[in-house]
Amino acid sequence: MKRVFAIVAVLMFAAIFFGLVRGYSERQTRSPLAEYYLTQVPRELGAPNVVTGILITYRGFDTLGEVAVLFMVAASVGVLLASKSGENTQVTNAASIDESEPSELVRTGAEVILPLIFLFGAYVIMNGHLSAGGGFQGGAVVASGVMLLMLASPATQLHHGFLSVTESLAGVLYVSIGILGIVFADGFLDSHILPLGTFGTLLSAGAIPLISALLGIKVGAELSVVIDRFRR
Amino acid sequence: MVEALMHPLNIFLFGLGGSFLIPLLYRIAKPLPAVIFVLALAGIVAVSGACLWAVYHGQPVLESFTAGSAPPYSINLRVGPWEGVCAFSVNIVALLAAWHLWDRLRQNYAALLLFLLLIMGVNGMVMTRDLFNLFVFLEIVSIATYGLLGFDGTPAALAAGFKYILATVLASTFFLLGTALLYHVTGTLNIDDMIVHRAMIAGPIGTTALLLVLSCLIIELKPFPANGWGLDVYQSASSGVAALVSGAVSAGVFFALFKLLPLFENYLTLIAVSGGITFLFSNLAGLRQTNVQRMLGYSSIAQMGLLTLALALMRQPGADASMPLVVGGLFVNHLLAKAGLFFLAGAVNRPQVDDWSALAGRPLIMLIFAILLVAIAGLPPFPGFWSKWELVIRVAAAGHFGWIAVILIGSLLEIAYMFRWFNQATRAAPEQGSLDAPLGRLLAAGLCAVFLCVSGYVAADLSGAASLWIFAPLGAAAFLCLFDWLPGRLKSMLMLILVLLLGIWIVGPVEGISRLFAVLLLSGGLVVASASSYRADSRPGYYPLMALLLLSIAALLRTRTSLEFFFSWEMITLSSYFLIAHARSAYPYALPFLLFSIASAFCLLAGFAMAAAANGTIDLAAFGAAGKDAWPAFVLLAVGFLIKAGAAGVHIWLPGAYAEADDDLSAMLSAVVSKVAIFGLFSVTYLAIRSEIGLDMAHVMGWVGLLTTLLGAAFALRQTDMKRMLAYSSMSQLGYIVTAIALMSHLGWVTAFYLVANHLMVKGILFLAVAGVILRTGTRLLGENGGLVRNMPFTFAAVATALISMSGLPPLAGFGGKWLLLSAMVEKGWYGLAALAVLATFVGFLYMFRLAYAVFLGERKARFEAIAEAPLALLVPQYVLIIAIFALTFFPKLFMDPVSAAIDPAFASTLVWDGMSLETIYGYWNPIPVMAITVAIAMVLFFVVWLRYIYGYRRAPTTGVTVFYAFYQPVLSRLSRPVAIAFWRGISDLTLSAAGSVRQIYTGDGQTYCLYVLWYVIAVYVTGTLVR
Amino acid sequence: MGLPVSQILLVTGFCLILIGLAGIFVHRNILRIIIGFSLIDTGIHVVMVATGYVTGGTAPIIDAALDKANAATNAVDPIPSALVVTAIVIGFSVTAIMLSFAIRLYDARKTLDIDAFTESKW
Repeated sequence: MKRVFAIVAVLMFAAIFFGLVRGYSERQTRSPLAEYYLTQVPRELGAPNVVTGILITYRGFDTLGEVAVLFMVAASVGVLLASKSGENTQVTNAASIDESEPSELVRTGAEVILPLIFLFGAYVIMNGHLSAGGGFQGGAVVASGVMLLMLASPATQLHHGFLSVTESLAGVLYVSIGILGIVFADGFLDSHILPLGTFGTLLSAGAIPLISALLGIKVGAELSVVIDRFRR
Repeated sequence: MVEALMHPLNIFLFGLGGSFLIPLLYRIAKPLPAVIFVLALAGIVAVSGACLWAVYHGQPVLESFTAGSAPPYSINLRVGPWEGVCAFSVNIVALLAAWHLWDRLRQNYAALLLFLLLIMGVNGMVMTRDLFNLFVFLEIVSIATYGLLGFDGTPAALAAGFKYILATVLASTFFLLGTALLYHVTGTLNIDDMIVHRAMIAGPIGTTALLLVLSCLIIELKPFPANGWGLDVYQSASSGVAALVSGAVSAGVFFALFKLLPLFENYLTLIAVSGGITFLFSNLAGLRQTNVQRMLGYSSIAQMGLLTLALALMRQPGADASMPLVVGGLFVNHLLAKAGLFFLAGAVNRPQVDDWSALAGRPLIMLIFAILLVAIAGLPPFPGFWSKWELVIRVAAAGHFGWIAVILIGSLLEIAYMFRWFNQATRAAPEQGSLDAPLGRLLAAGLCAVFLCVSGYVAADLSGAASLWIFAPLGAAAFLCLFDWLPGRLKSMLMLILVLLLGIWIVGPVEGISRLFAVLLLSGGLVVASASSYRADSRPGYYPLMALLLLSIAALLRTRTSLEFFFSWEMITLSSYFLIAHARSAYPYALPFLLFSIASAFCLLAGFAMAAAANGTIDLAAFGAAGKDAWPAFVLLAVGFLIKAGAAGVHIWLPGAYAEADDDLSAMLSAVVSKVAIFGLFSVTYLAIRSEIGLDMAHVMGWVGLLTTLLGAAFALRQTDMKRMLAYSSMSQLGYIVTAIALMSHLGWVTAFYLVANHLMVKGILFLAVAGVILRTGTRLLGENGGLVRNMPFTFAAVATALISMSGLPPLAGFGGKWLLLSAMVEKGWYGLAALAVLATFVGFLYMFRLAYAVFLGERKARFEAIAEAPLALLVPQYVLIIAIFALTFFPKLFMDPVSAAIDPAFASTLVWDGMSLETIYGYWNPIPVMAITVAIAMVLFFVVWLRYIYGYRRAPTTGVTVFYAFYQPVLSRLSRPVAIAFWRGISDLTLSAAGSVRQIYTGDGQTYCLYVLWYVIAVYVTGTLVR
Repeated sequence: MGLPVSQILLVTGFCLILIGLAGIFVHRNILRIIIGFSLIDTGIHVVMVATGYVTGGTAPIIDAALDKANAATNAVDPIPSALVVTAIVIGFSVTAIMLSFAIRLYDARKTLDIDAFTESKW
């Protein structure tokens, strides 16, 4: 009975979505807001990547919010999974190591690829304002490297203290840069506190690369913590 | 510099900065996170307080831009009056919640940062003006909540948390989709921009997007029936977290809905229906709940429904000006009261309603508990009361009478289960209390109660009813509360002095009929209340409540607007309820008393609202101009007063409450408090005459009155319990008065007033006398007493006098009253009613005689040999009343002249009902023929009965008093079959079984709950598109 | 010319959402339900990106393919892309929380069947 209701509900949604698709016509023009961003981000912020410019400056408040979200997730996943494991952590860990020793292929592959992944992550983070990428994306790449590391050598222990200090520090710095924006520029999170530099170079676009880097560090650290928590 | 510090943006700096610092500081030193947490939270509270202060003092709305550019290009925040109030009150509650949760919070720094970000998130939801940013803050709040829910390690809490996540994630998914599509059609994410360009939100995509956003917001507010996940969380989360979810999280979502409301202009009815259904059904389902936190959950959800309903209804044209009072008041009321109740539930730590008898003997906790309950029930003097009043008035003005019914029925249901809970707490003896709740644990709940009192005054001020005299009763009660540690008799003295002084001051400017009532009720009340000094015990809370009761009666008589009247009326109801609840044996009866009283009050509210809609003002004096179309208003008002007067059919609350209340309180209830309903009836018929409505209505009322008289007398005759008998007798006597009022003639009204005075004195004497008997013999049963005349001669004399006066035997005042009544009825041509009145008088005499005989005459029980006369404290008031009876008897003119003068203006203006003038009555005032007639009729009746007795029931003569009237009982049993009780029990059973079946939808299955959510979205979508 | 690109993306996104919804209700296993939620999230992200597409537009990054002067006329709408980044992070966060709840629930009952977690009801 319930299943019938569920299927009917899904079908109803299919109908709603169908209505949306039918009413949809691809846009031919950009909204004034989009046009503003497309012209002002390169000109005013000096960042070629418009998306990063929006994310870090114009919608920087959102970004700060989502950093807070990740931060909370790292903390609460930590609490949720740490509080239960307590006494039997050692046992399960030992058991899992016995059973699932990673294969030769994974270990060797990891040794080769890991440095590349981390390097790529750093690249994506630092070039966020120039090309596709940014702090979040790069942070995620770094964290995927951490994941590979764990798969390859399950005995690896991440230093949680170090990671939490790192993410905490990055967060505090991020907020401080935002405050500097109030003091030295036109408002909270304004990226004009640093000179714009030469358009298209690594050290340009005001504080955007700096914030990107902090974001990358913070996201990388947080995602790594989350992944490690799930490993138990 | 200071100004910069008080900028709204700093709330987010405190929140984010503080929480980011917490892990860092934890590595440095373990106690540091707690320090920074406290600093950050205090900072948030201070900043929001400063913002509110600035806005309140005339500063234009505070705008903060981010990223150095103006909206719509970047996200901006705004703090206006609405935002200021909402954010500040939420932050205050958050501070209290942090205090309440402190033991848990400080154990884990993660909890600290989640808490901080949760509060920051709510502030963000309140202040942001960007739709997507709203989504981000919604998610911050949600995820912080998920995290905090995970701290409760019990499987039930985890499972509940998981269901909560499933449902809210589903809802926020739709919000995200809707936001993206709204951007697609409007090209902006700024809410103000979107409102300006709302015409662009059209076509299939725009409509769907809007409906998706709307349904997400509604679902986050936990609408019925898609709210099982919320209930589970309320039930199983720790009390502090539940308070946050109920208060802070819902506040944020509600504010988001409020903010976006201009976009939903076309769907106001949809929003109203959703809120109304939620309010009604959640309260219905709450009736069967026995788990405290889950019950509070039902109430939370219902209140959110009410808020939603109010929001949609107030948005209708013409009501915008009332928005702050209605929505703001309901919001603050719910926030503080519900959070306070959750805190209290946590401090008391008894998960089941039944276990709350542990509260016994803890007056402070009881006080906090009572304040919070009264507030959540929307009763005065708290903001919810003023808001509900304004809401009902506005809704009536818009002509949506159906919504009034929804609001009032839902409120009644909520009061039922909330006060059932309170009743449990009053059940046990003080020494049975087993509660271990240190003061520190109570602080949060206590502060909520304090804030409620303050905001109640603010709301009263907003609604224009805040005057010194109307709050004087509460002030007096609060003052007496401070001295509640004094010995009982001292408190009694203090109370009497205070009531005397304040009472005279309050009724000073009163004129006309009200002045007569004021003199009568205030002096009668003082005399009866002075009897309370016969008890030496401390009676915590009794004297403040008594002062509140008496002074509220005085205030009621002074009221000029229906709002003031209703306020004082509810204060009288509440103070009598709490006084009755003092007696532990009264606990099964206190709740019916309250429910019928509230039902009566709600009838009044609806009546007032309709009258106000017809007149365009709440001025009582303007009621006369209502015109014929306002008849439903008058019917409702009359029904309300009749319920309170214990008319036949709705009397079932009366005997239990009167009989089981403290002995001296019974005297007060029957002698004085019951007259308040009569006063109301007086006023409403007075106004009905002036507006030329209601001759037919009056005739019906006349029959109702006499039926009440007859039924009351019949029931009284069957009683073996003295107090119950007097209670029914009181009902019976009030019936006469109702009939007299219904005559709607000059003579009838003079009579009614005469009867009121007579009944006040008689019942005061009788109940006080019975109190003395019970004090000495320890039993209330007629059969166990007997032959006390030698032990208690003065009491007997008093009872005998009262008996004569009440039964209408010559020569005392009662006779004059009955005779006036009969004359008035005959004058009017109501012969059938007159005959009934004679019959009832006869029955009345029978049971009264039985009382005197059984207790004072007859055979004395051996164990009563040594008992003494009743204490002086009881005798003095009785004899004062006896003096009054004699005065009334021998100098009726002293009394009649002012009465007549007061009533004259009502009739002078209307020739239609110009009754016999007073001089004519005095002309007929020739007691001898009338006495002869009455005695003759009584003799005939007695003879008839005696004949039947001889021929029908002659058996071995039974001695003993229990069977004194055994013969009459079969005769009268036909009359006194408990039809009314069966009827009301049936209603109650029906409601409860409906509640039982409604809550079956909460299967506890997370998947099913998700399905409800999905169907809810579909329902909103379908109705939304159809309505459009 | 056939369907425009964004329409195809839109349909794909909605299909993902529907599959996710169906997954939530067809399966009783908590992990599968969580996967359903992930699918819905992904679907929504696809839809969001699709709605930002402007016919003939290119990525909103100033480089060889797009010079500053033409940015306002040749690029796609950058805003949905910016929103999607945030939405993805939030989606990830929610999934992580759900998974950790699932682990705790499994520890409590040794099962992942959602039927096992109905103790609070009515």
